[in-house]
Formats: sequence, structure tokens, C-alpha cells
Amino acid sequence: MSKPQPRTRSHVRGFSTMRAKVLAPVALASVAALALAACGTKTPSSTGTTAGGTGTTVAQTSGGSITLTEAGSSLLYPLFQIWAPAYHTEHPNVTISPAAGGSGLGISDAIAGTVNIGASDAYLSPGNVSKDPDLENIPLAISAQMVNYNLPGVTKHLNLSGQVLSQIYQGKITTWNDPAIAAANPGVTLPPTKIVPLHRSDGSGDSFIFTTYLSDADPSGWGAKYHYNTNFTGPPISGALAENGNGGMVTGCAATPGCVAYIGISYLSKTNSAGLGEAKLKNAAGNYLLPNASTIVAEASGFAPKTPPNETISLIYGPAPQGYPIINYEYAIVSTRQPSPPTASAVKALLSWASNPADGSAPSFLNQVGFQPLPTSVVALSTAQINKIA
Amino acid sequence: MTSASRAGTKGVEVGGGAGANGTSGSGAGEGGGGGSAGGPAGVVLPPLPPLHAPPSLRRRVANATAWGLCALALALVIAPAVWVVGGVLARAIPHWHWSVLTTDGAQVSKTLPAGGLEGAILGTLVIMAGVTVLAGTVGILSGIHLAEHTKPKRGALMRGASEVLAGIPSIVLGYVGYLALVVGLHWGFSLGAALIVLSVLVVPYMARTTESALRQVPTSYREGAEALGMPSSYALRRIVLRSALPGIMTGILVSLAIAIGETAPLLYTANYNDALPGLALTHQGVPYLTYAVWTFYNLPSSASVELSYDAALLLIVLVLILIIVARVIVSLTQRNAETNTGR
Amino acid sequence: MSTDPGTPPPGFLLADGPPAGLGSSRRRFGLGERGLRGLAASAAVVPLIALAAVLGVLIYKALPAMRYNGLGFFTRLAWSEGNTYGGISHAGGVTHPVGATYGGLSLVLGTLMSSAIALVIAVPLSVGAALAIVEKLPTRLSRSLGFFLELLAGIPSVVFGLWGVITFGPILSRDVTPFIARVLPNVPVLSWFKGNVGAGEGLLTSGIVLAIMVVPIIAATTRDLLRQVPVLPKEGARALGMSDWEVTRRVSLRWVGAGIIGASVLGLARALGETMAVAMVSGAILGTIPTNIYATFTTIAATIVSQLDSALTDSTGLAVSTLAEAALVIMVITLLANIGARVLVRRVSTAGLPVGRGI
Repeated sequence: MSKPQPRTRSHVRGFSTMRAKVLAPVALASVAALALAACGTKTPSSTGTTAGGTGTTVAQTSGGSITLTEAGSSLLYPLFQIWAPAYHTEHPNVTISPAAGGSGLGISDAIAGTVNIGASDAYLSPGNVSKDPDLENIPLAISAQMVNYNLPGVTKHLNLSGQVLSQIYQGKITTWNDPAIAAANPGVTLPPTKIVPLHRSDGSGDSFIFTTYLSDADPSGWGAKYHYNTNFTGPPISGALAENGNGGMVTGCAATPGCVAYIGISYLSKTNSAGLGEAKLKNAAGNYLLPNASTIVAEASGFAPKTPPNETISLIYGPAPQGYPIINYEYAIVSTRQPSPPTASAVKALLSWASNPADGSAPSFLNQVGFQPLPTSVVALSTAQINKIA
Repeated sequence: MTSASRAGTKGVEVGGGAGANGTSGSGAGEGGGGGSAGGPAGVVLPPLPPLHAPPSLRRRVANATAWGLCALALALVIAPAVWVVGGVLARAIPHWHWSVLTTDGAQVSKTLPAGGLEGAILGTLVIMAGVTVLAGTVGILSGIHLAEHTKPKRGALMRGASEVLAGIPSIVLGYVGYLALVVGLHWGFSLGAALIVLSVLVVPYMARTTESALRQVPTSYREGAEALGMPSSYALRRIVLRSALPGIMTGILVSLAIAIGETAPLLYTANYNDALPGLALTHQGVPYLTYAVWTFYNLPSSASVELSYDAALLLIVLVLILIIVARVIVSLTQRNAETNTGR
Repeated sequence: MSTDPGTPPPGFLLADGPPAGLGSSRRRFGLGERGLRGLAASAAVVPLIALAAVLGVLIYKALPAMRYNGLGFFTRLAWSEGNTYGGISHAGGVTHPVGATYGGLSLVLGTLMSSAIALVIAVPLSVGAALAIVEKLPTRLSRSLGFFLELLAGIPSVVFGLWGVITFGPILSRDVTPFIARVLPNVPVLSWFKGNVGAGEGLLTSGIVLAIMVVPIIAATTRDLLRQVPVLPKEGARALGMSDWEVTRRVSLRWVGAGIIGASVLGLARALGETMAVAMVSGAILGTIPTNIYATFTTIAATIVSQLDSALTDSTGLAVSTLAEAALVIMVITLLANIGARVLVRRVSTAGLPVGRGI
């Protein structure tokens, strides 16, 4: 003990205790001020939430105003972020509180009832439906997925097919000048760069639709060996990289010459500014196409008549000759049994608004994230599902 | 402690001179000459024989190299702090808008296309306040118990449990919080679940700092109180706790710095919420700054990525404030201790 | 830091409770006083209860996974939730999606490797920095340098992750590691540094980021231990003609040696359990064993955070249960490291180790 110990009685009321007396209230006051700042601002008035839980009710209601919570898909999250204020302006008594977290979280939160609306790029699995028959997956809009690559010097859009991508992601095609790639790209000088396939490390709807494309386009290869799942299912291959989130895919691919990655269409401006190439993908009719409004709409119209009443369907590798082969419904996962009638009608109103091409699915919203509105017949199916909510 | 470090400082100066001489050959020679020839100036004294032979060149080189490496290590330890803080500043400052502080995540505008961070800031402050109340109460009481009341053996068990608890990775606590509170008890994503998990995380720290602050209160204080006939409980409250207060406050501030920097335990308990945080304990997600860092850097719009850096900057500022206040408390009380002993 | 539970100055009033001879003061405890004591006593058992609850919940949740995965969890490499959109089958009383296989080998290896790299970097840096602070710098300067250590300890791990993945990793893989990989000879140990340097996410980046994060723990503890080294043996050694460094090496470092090992093990425990920064800079790739020091990998903690989302889609609950098993494994590993560190340090010093993150 090298610390000197004051041992005389005078120190009992000495300077240090005085100082402590002065300091303690200052420190306490600062903490209290922080707490006050947190509690005292416009919390209740602007969000319409009330202090104190409301039992099992998720939505907080007070004086007719309702907060709807949404969580899940990180592709839908930016859209909900722009929907929320717009919807609140039109319906001042409803506040939407969105959060990301991933498609899996969206599904499980809807099952657990921790949110009103779960958002997912993937539809419910049969297991989930049998576990909770009240759950519905209701498409709100249509997204597409790009296949990007980093090949300095190659300026043309490369033609890639599902079979070739399947071989790449199984580690069977390892260089960009492989004959299989060259055959689809006549006139393009391909470098002998090693291919670095990127996949998502986190569970993701993007992995789900990409592996579905590989399975559908290469049924005897990928489809027979590997499943499609929100968790990337391919074999581990040497030199492959995994990235966290679509943002991670963009930065990871930009930093890795020779990479190939699957990235949501919302990230188009990011992939462009990162200098990534965008592949034309081969559809079932044999055409190589880029994802754009017309090819996405063409593919969606091809699938519209096939969409069943529960709207559980993959929009992958469809028959439309001018359709881009990897598109998907962006789903709201909702339970038909809502905790209270006001909540149910608020959820119904919001979902109808969101899927309506004149309201939430207007180009002014969807163009910001690169989505397309649902075909009319699918809007009708969604409306039928929305009407089951009570 | 003070005397020891002062002696150490003197040693440093002597050693530093030797090291500097050792690095340059000519300097060493001059130093050696100065010792023998520089002595007799006015008064005639016989030159003192050296106490010991000067260290060999090899040893002097070893000495200089070793300390040089230590200095390098120190630089390499400090550099990352500067780099990380500087890196965040460099990314956050150029596009900084003060309105980030007063705009919530749902209020999108031209200047802030992804909204602001008001909700996350308030959420972080609500979490701080909650942790102060919950973990502060439990931690301080348990520190008092460990320092004042408990029997040594039982105290060792509780202290051990506390230390072991502090060693559990925060993601494990968060995962258990999700399984037990969010899903198990049907609380949903909520402030309550977040506060309990974070409190479990920092209670060991608060208990430890309270206990050591109490133990550092000089025995003379208790003796004095006892001599005046105060009951020990009264003395504890009136005198011991009061003089331990700066230490306890420091513990709280540092615990808060730990708590607001956590992400893993909050991801699946507080989740998030784009609006402003409410005070409901259950069924309502809470926004907080670390979530903004973790999620927004991955979103498509560059405005979101900028928000991620804004949130990182705000976190660093908050942590800095907490650390600086804690240091000010410590240095003020230490100065007191020194003036007291000087008298 | 000179908190010493066991040795208060030999006053007649010891810290542990009221003295035996003062029964009169005990009689004066009011009801409120007794209530406060009871409250304090119950607060003190909260950590014990929390510990039991955490273990209980994890074991309960992990049971199905332990039954399904068996001991093969530690030897298998493949990690697949199986066909969660396909059939469901039963094995040994556990419902699981067809094809579910969980191998934790890559997680355990990744956890140990990245933490080992972190320690190899952090221990010499921390000890060197602590020596410079204690032995060479004036008190005022060393106090303000302590500020940087606290700042390092206080910076949130997501901020380190952000810095690692956006700033540091790319610089490392663009400007530094290609050179290292090129110039090093292809001989056994060093060949570990050759080959594909990747994109800045991987073992080396994670190891360095983790090292930065554990330096404050090791450096601050070492610094406090060094300050406790008595002056007399040091002065004696100096009088024998030892140089400063020799005094430090032969007296100070020997004096606190076991304490440094303990501090390092404590830092190791923190590195093993670190989640967010590693999830951001590791590449979080499942099912592979790194082939060089730049390879992407994952750790147990990072897997829990990056896989929980996907695990939640598994309607059988096996994926969530397996993550609970993984959480149990990392908890046991870090607990062992923590207890080991504290036992080591208790043997040489009365100070004990810091709790928390070393701020």
C-alpha cells in the first residue's frame, strides 16, 4: 500500500469530503439531465405512443392513434423508411415504425407477434405455415437481383447463365477465360483472372432467390446437390469470400478483382459507382437480359397467372421470353389474427395502400429502390389476402 | 503510490541520460571524460573512484534498443486510437448537419434523405438512464454488501460469480435475453429486455468499483466516527459512503460508457424503431446509436452510410464525455488526497 | 487500482462488518437499517442468480441440438440448416429439416486462431507500452497517455468494426499484405503468410482489430502491476550496476510476470468472445478452415449474430437450438480463460484483475 492514508480526525470533515459533496450532485445532475432530455421531448405527441405496455397488444394505441411496427428484410427497410413519413402525412393517426434485421427476423417476429408486419424477401416455408396457419405472405412489390463482377478492362455486360454460375459457385469453373464463359461472350476478350465467388455470410432473402435460380437453371447439378435456403447452401470452395449484407457484397466485390456477387437491385447506384460490371442473365427462353423495368415487368407478368391464392411462389427462371430470370415478391408477413380490431384495420389499410400502384407502389416511391409494382392480377390476390386479416 | 512514482521519475532521468549517451559513440566518450576531468574546477578534491565500471557497449546498446522498442510499442498502442477517431471524424465531418440531432429516422428531407438520429440519440440516453437506475442500484448495493457486511467466504463466492459473469461474451447475454425475455416471456423487442441484459452486463463492474471505493476510505474515518459513538450504519452512510462517492460515480460513468457501446446484446432485445423511443418497458423496440452504425453502413443509399458515420461520431463523443468526466472526478479527489497529506 | 480486499490497515475496526465488541451499536439498527442490509445482501446475489439463469436457459435451449449434433459438432466442418423449405424428419426424438448438419469445427478453430493472433500482437505491445509509461515517462505524461488507453477501451466495438471493414482492411490488403505475401520465402511457418491476400476481411485483419481491442486490458493491468513493484529491489539492482533495462527485465518483469500472463489470458477471454467487430471484419464464412493468414473465417460469437436471422426461419427450431449450443461452448471457453487468469494473478498480486473491459 503505497497510497498515503490520512489518519487524523480532522480529515473526517476534510477537504476531500467537501469536494465529494460538491461533485456528486454535479455528476448526478448530469445523469438526471440526460434522463430528462430523453423523457422530456416530444415523444408522446409525435409518435402517439403511451408509456406503459399494453399487455399482449403490439401496436400502441391511445386516443385513436396507432403505431405499427415493422421489422425484417433489409431490402424492404429503405422502402418502409420512405413509406413511413409519407403514410403518416396521409394518415396522421398512424405511425409506422420500421426496422431492418433480415428476412428471417421478419418471419420469426411475425410468428412470435413481436411486430405487426414482418418483411421478407422469401416466402414462408411449409414448416412455418403448418406451425402457424394464421400467417400469410402478402407481396407488396417486386424486386430483382443483379449478378455483378469486378473485371477491370471488360466494359461490355457479360452474358452469364445459371449453369455457368452454378459451376462457378461449385468451384468447377475457376477462371474468367473459361471456355464456358467465352462461348457465351463472343467478341469479348476475357482475362485469365481467377474467379472469386462471393456469397452472403448472414441469412438473407438474396441467398434464397439466388440459390433458387441456380437450382432451377441447373436442376441436375446444383438443384440435386444443394438446397435453396436463406442460408447460403453451396459447398465451401477455396478462395470464396462471404460478405455481410448487400453493402458488404458491393464493397467486398469492389476490393476483389475477379469477384462475382449477387446483389439486390436497390444497390444499382452503389454497384455503378463502385465500378462493378452487371451481367446479362440467361433466362429459360435462352435470352441474355439485364434487370430493368421492362424485363422485370415482363417476367412478373409471366408469373402473374401462375401465382396461387396464397401467393407462395418463386419468380425465378420463368417462361417469359423477355423476362429477367431472378425477380421476387417482397413479402409482408402478417398474421390474420391481429390483437385488436383497430390494429387489424390499420394493418389492412397500410398493406392495401402499400401494394396499390397509385399509392405506395407509385414510381415516386419504388424508383428510389429499383422495385416494380405488382401486376394488377397479383394486386387482386394480395387484396384478397389482406381482407382475411381481422 | 505517489512516492513510488516520484522515485521512478528520477530514475527515468538518470537512465534517459545514459540511454542517450549510449546511442551516439562520441557522446558516450564525452560523458566518460567529463566524469574524470571535469571535476576539479576551483576546489581541489581527489577524483572519486567510480563506484562500478561503466556498462559495456553491448549492454548499453541492449538498453537503448529495449527502451526504443518499448517507445515503439507505446506509439503503436496509441496510434490506433488516433486513427480510429480520426477516421470517423474525417468521414463524418464533411457531410455533418446539425439537424441530424433533431430529426428522427422517419423524418426524411432534402438535406437528410435517410432521416436523422434523434430517435437513436434519445434511445441511447433512455438506455443510459435506465441502466443507471437499475444497474446502479443493484451494483452499488451489492458493492456495499461485499465491502461492509459479508463474511469473507461468502463474499469470495459472490465476487467470483460477479467476475465470471463479467467475462461472459455480451452476445451470449443478448441471445439469452432474446430467448428468455423477448420470446419466452413475450415481452417483444423492448426497453425492458434491453435494460435487463445491459444491467447484467455492467452490474459486476459497478459492484467492483463500489467495493474498492469503499475499501479505499481510510480506516481513520471509521475510527473517528466510532470514537464519536456513531453507530457503524450511520457512519457508513454519513462518512464512508460520502468519501467513497467519487469512486462510485466514476464506476457508474465507466459502466455507462461500456453500456452505450454495446451492440450484440441489444440487436435481438431492443431491436430498433425508426420513430422516437417511448418509455414503454415491453412491446416496443428502442432505437440506439450502435444499431445505426451496424445497420446503416450496409444500406443502399449513401445518406444511410453517412448516418452510420454520424452515429459513430456521436458514440465516440458520448464515450469521451463519460471518460473525461470520470477522469476529472478522479483527478480532483486525488489532488485533495495529496493536499491533505501535505498538511 | 490498489484495491486490496484482504489487507486493510491494522485498525481495530475491520472492513468486514461491525467489530465483535460493539454489540451496542448493532442493537441500534432500526427497521430501515435492517431493510437496507437485506436489500444490499439480495443485490449481491444478483450476479449469482444471473449466472445460473444464463446457464439454465442456454442448456435448456441447447438440449435438442446437443442430442442431434452429438460430439460430432466439434469435429464436423459443414454447417447447413438443411432444406428448411422441404421435408421435416425426426431423429432421436429431435425434429429437424432434411439434411441439417451442424459442424462447429470451423467456428471453434476460427475463434482460437483469431484470438491467438490478437494475443501475439497485443501482449508485446501492451507490455512494452506499460513499461515505457511506468519506467520512462514523467507522471503527468503517463497519466494523459492513460487517457488513450481508456479511449481505446471505450470505443464501441461496432466502431472498430466499421473502421476495420471500411478503412483499415482495404488499406491492409491493397498496400501491405500483397508485398508481404510476395517477399516472404515459401518455407514452413512463413508460407502461412503467402497466397491470396483477399479483400481485407479475414484472420489477419480480425487479429489486428482484436489486438487493438484487448491492448487496453493487458496494458492497463500490466501498468498497474508494474507500479506496485517495490522501489527497494529496483534501487538495489541499480546499485549493483545494472542498466535500466536490466533492472526492468530482472526485477520488475520477474516481479509481475505471472500477473502479465494473467492479464493476457483475460485479454484472450475478451478476444474469444468479441462479436460485432469480428462479425464485420472476419468475412463470417462458415465451414472452411483458413489456408493462410488472410483467409476469411468465422468465430462462434460472430456466427451467433450473423446466423440467428436465418436460424429463425427453421420452423423446427433446431437452428436456434444449435446457436444456443454454440453460445454454451463460447461461454464455457471464456469462463475457463477468465477463471484461469484470475487464479494466476491472485497468486502474485493482491490487486486482482479488472472486471469489465479494462477502462
